[in-house]
Amino acid sequence: MSRERRRLGIRSMDNQEREGRLYDGAVVAIAAAVITVIVAACVSTTLPDSGGASADVAAAGGASAAAGIAGAPATDDGEAGEAGGALGSATVGAPEPKGSEEITVTGSRIAREQRAARMPSVPQAAVERPLAMTVPLQKSQTAASAEGGREARAQGVAGSPLSRVQPGEEIWVIETVAVHEAAVAVEDDQPGSGALVAFVARPDDPQQSRVEVPLPLRHTDVHAVITGYVGSVDVTQQFENPYAEKIEAVYMFPLPEKAAVSEFVMTIGERKIRGILRGKEEAQRIYQDARAQGYRASLLVQHRPNVFEQKVANIEPGKRIDVNIRYFHTLAYEDGWYSFVFPTVVGPRYNPAGFKDPVTALPRGDHREPIPGSAVRYLRPNERSAHDIGIAVDVDAGVAIEEVAASHAIKTKMDGRNRAHVELASASTMPNRDFVLRFRVAGNAIKSSFLTYTDPKSKQGYFTLMIYPPSGLAALARRPLEMVFVIDTSGSMSGRPLEQAAAAVSAALDRLESGDTFQIMNFSTYVSALAAAPLPATHENRDRGRRYLRSLSADGGTEMLSGIRAALNYAPDPQRDRFVAFLTDGYIGNEVEIFSEVHRLIGAARIFSFGVGNSVNRYLLDGLAMEGRGAAAYLALEDSADDVMSYFFERVSRPALTDVSIDWRGLAASQVYPRRIPDLFVGRPVVVTGQFKGGAETIVVRGRVGKDRLEFSLAPDVAQPAIRTLWARLRIDDLARRYAWSGSNDLAADIRSTALEYGLMSAYTSFVAVDASERTAGEHGTTVNQSVPVPDGVRYETTVVERSASAVR
Amino acid sequence: MRSRSLAVVIVAIAALAASFGLLAQQQAAARFAVVDVYVDSTAPLAAWQFELRERHGEMQVVGVENGDSRAYTQAPYYDRAVVDRGAADRIIVASFSLRPAAELPVGRARVATVHVRLTGSAAPDFQLQLVAAGAADGRPIDAKITLDTRTGR
Repeated sequence: MSRERRRLGIRSMDNQEREGRLYDGAVVAIAAAVITVIVAACVSTTLPDSGGASADVAAAGGASAAAGIAGAPATDDGEAGEAGGALGSATVGAPEPKGSEEITVTGSRIAREQRAARMPSVPQAAVERPLAMTVPLQKSQTAASAEGGREARAQGVAGSPLSRVQPGEEIWVIETVAVHEAAVAVEDDQPGSGALVAFVARPDDPQQSRVEVPLPLRHTDVHAVITGYVGSVDVTQQFENPYAEKIEAVYMFPLPEKAAVSEFVMTIGERKIRGILRGKEEAQRIYQDARAQGYRASLLVQHRPNVFEQKVANIEPGKRIDVNIRYFHTLAYEDGWYSFVFPTVVGPRYNPAGFKDPVTALPRGDHREPIPGSAVRYLRPNERSAHDIGIAVDVDAGVAIEEVAASHAIKTKMDGRNRAHVELASASTMPNRDFVLRFRVAGNAIKSSFLTYTDPKSKQGYFTLMIYPPSGLAALARRPLEMVFVIDTSGSMSGRPLEQAAAAVSAALDRLESGDTFQIMNFSTYVSALAAAPLPATHENRDRGRRYLRSLSADGGTEMLSGIRAALNYAPDPQRDRFVAFLTDGYIGNEVEIFSEVHRLIGAARIFSFGVGNSVNRYLLDGLAMEGRGAAAYLALEDSADDVMSYFFERVSRPALTDVSIDWRGLAASQVYPRRIPDLFVGRPVVVTGQFKGGAETIVVRGRVGKDRLEFSLAPDVAQPAIRTLWARLRIDDLARRYAWSGSNDLAADIRSTALEYGLMSAYTSFVAVDASERTAGEHGTTVNQSVPVPDGVRYETTVVERSASAVR
Repeated sequence: MRSRSLAVVIVAIAALAASFGLLAQQQAAARFAVVDVYVDSTAPLAAWQFELRERHGEMQVVGVENGDSRAYTQAPYYDRAVVDRGAADRIIVASFSLRPAAELPVGRARVATVHVRLTGSAAPDFQLQLVAAGAADGRPIDAKITLDTRTGR
């Protein structure tokens, strides 16, 4: 075993090891003279062998049983069993070989019969085998599978790239570690790392000139079904062990920040094992136990609402384990366009010193573990993995689809006017930027709506209310603005992202009116500003602003809190509306601190966040906009900055519907989210979701435009059951934000109970699945972190903490 | 002085005993097993639902797996509210198939495997009851439910 392998083994002991140390401490504290007596008293607790047995229970279905056949299990409390009418029960499990009892229930008659003679025999070895026993894998089997893998790889090399080598091209052949145990001891020493085959340098194709690093995640398959504005998404991650030894795969990945993760299935061949949602610590304890004993297991943990960690334990050489995740979320809507977003990579985050829960960016092969917190490993610029992604989306808009656009090359097939099937044109797309699918629906087809759903079991009602501002707002003039542009100039914005941000602000300066004022601030490790106070939007001052923009360069950390304070923490101008435009990729780890500070300082100002880049932190950007009662927009690296700013000013150049309130009339509404209804800008609806009791009734929405009052009424319509899950997800989000401000343990408990009741992932709940049918041979294997590429347009050199750094933070 | 020393020793004994007791419990917590559930029906089985308990309250369900029939290729669903009752799990599991009757299982078929973690020192004592079994048209059908337990091979 190599030096590094031993280190990994120690690291993986984590909780059990720590607990073990506590016991050691207790022992040290006690006088040695009493130990003999104590041990004698305690050894009587023996570890039992597993019991096993078999029993039969017969049931003849009675008429009332049909009620329970609807598919979903009954909810509980024994009601299902009692309602079934035809029940049988038996007690099984006594290890003595006395047979079991058959109980037949027919109507009210119960017949019992000893049936030892008819009882199916269970192999004694299976029944009585101690659970701690390990069946070693034959060495020849291991060798055979490794050999098979090597042959497959060799054929791949011979079949493709080498055959295309042209005179003058450079060929590198790098030893593959996957089949050589000793190679694990190299410095960058995860199993098989630093390895592979060959590459041909092709200056015209940077992807082809990178070394392919063997990693366990082979493919991610995404299938989304969109009905109206609700998306149901199945994500399948295919893990395959390319090494000669057993591994645990660990993968940090993103999901949409509003994703309500509700299902988790581990697939091994034809076998599908549905995972169980549990409290986070309990799930981790189960996973660690299973992993330590050699069982295949998987664990899904949430680090942020949009950052998750998948662990898959005991993947044997050459074997594959798939993990399927299902989530719901709502689609954003603006001016006739719906947007479906699937993020593919977690961007490298900056964590301010002292932050308690960082998400650290480390290079591949760096095994340091930030404690506390988590880490994402990144491939170096000259590396790539075989991981690719396939995405397919089925859209049923309910109204005519007039146009479809996407961030990637897609194939679109229409099915009538309302439905479309969209998929990535390439089945092997590199997952290094968000997939964004937009579809425009028929003009004026979308109106304010009030949809309700009542749970047939609990009689609890749920509603979602989509409010559109009245079209008459577009004819009114706006008040003068105090426009504050805040640009992120940290290292991750280096290059194209900063160019885009500066171009956007420059375009915005052109759209200011004579009565407006503006300020430009930038922050990285420190905050700088164009002027001591906002400047009038004169021609000269705009030129001054553009010169300032040209002087900006990106380097250093992302001290966003300083930027927030600088932008919000000064006296408001009573003559103008203060709009703060934040332009950032959002690559920070302390999101909740930012939200808390915005909540504290926002006052009458509004924040409009602009996500600059191809794989930005939408959780931060949407959260900034929500706390700032503004809106979020996204500026991809290939987008026109001028168009995006033009669109923004079109939006804010009209007065918003403010002071929005809802008269629920007879509806007993409760737990309504968001708690503070934001202003309504032209073309951009606000979605309000809540619970209610009793029957749904017509409600009235009221608001103010300047000094005028507006109101309109909405009648209820029937919605789909997904509203229940979406409401629970919003409640968890609301509780999490309030917890960030207050730190109240009651709120944390509420998050946990809500997540468990509605079967959702959260910061306090995790999915775990264990295949207890078979133990793999040997120890739990080496942990391999799935390294990912830095997002498209982001520079590795300015964002990832290399080993030479003094500390991980 | 002597009585003080004795008191210290007694406290030490109690602390150590508690430590060992907890340690023993922790070690005993790491057992996994599977419960194979079979339904033996007289007609094509289109839907079923069962409840599994462990009499000592020492079962944690850690996975629910599909059975052998091609009509039931997806993992069965379980009632989350029941599972969340803590370590002393009981679980209600159900599934259905929309396949034609000819493709549905008849006779004895493994419909599910429940993967469990056993937390106590006693031998597990499982209780199983068939809540419902139905045909494709929703009619209840005669069926018998059985289980086998085994540990990881």
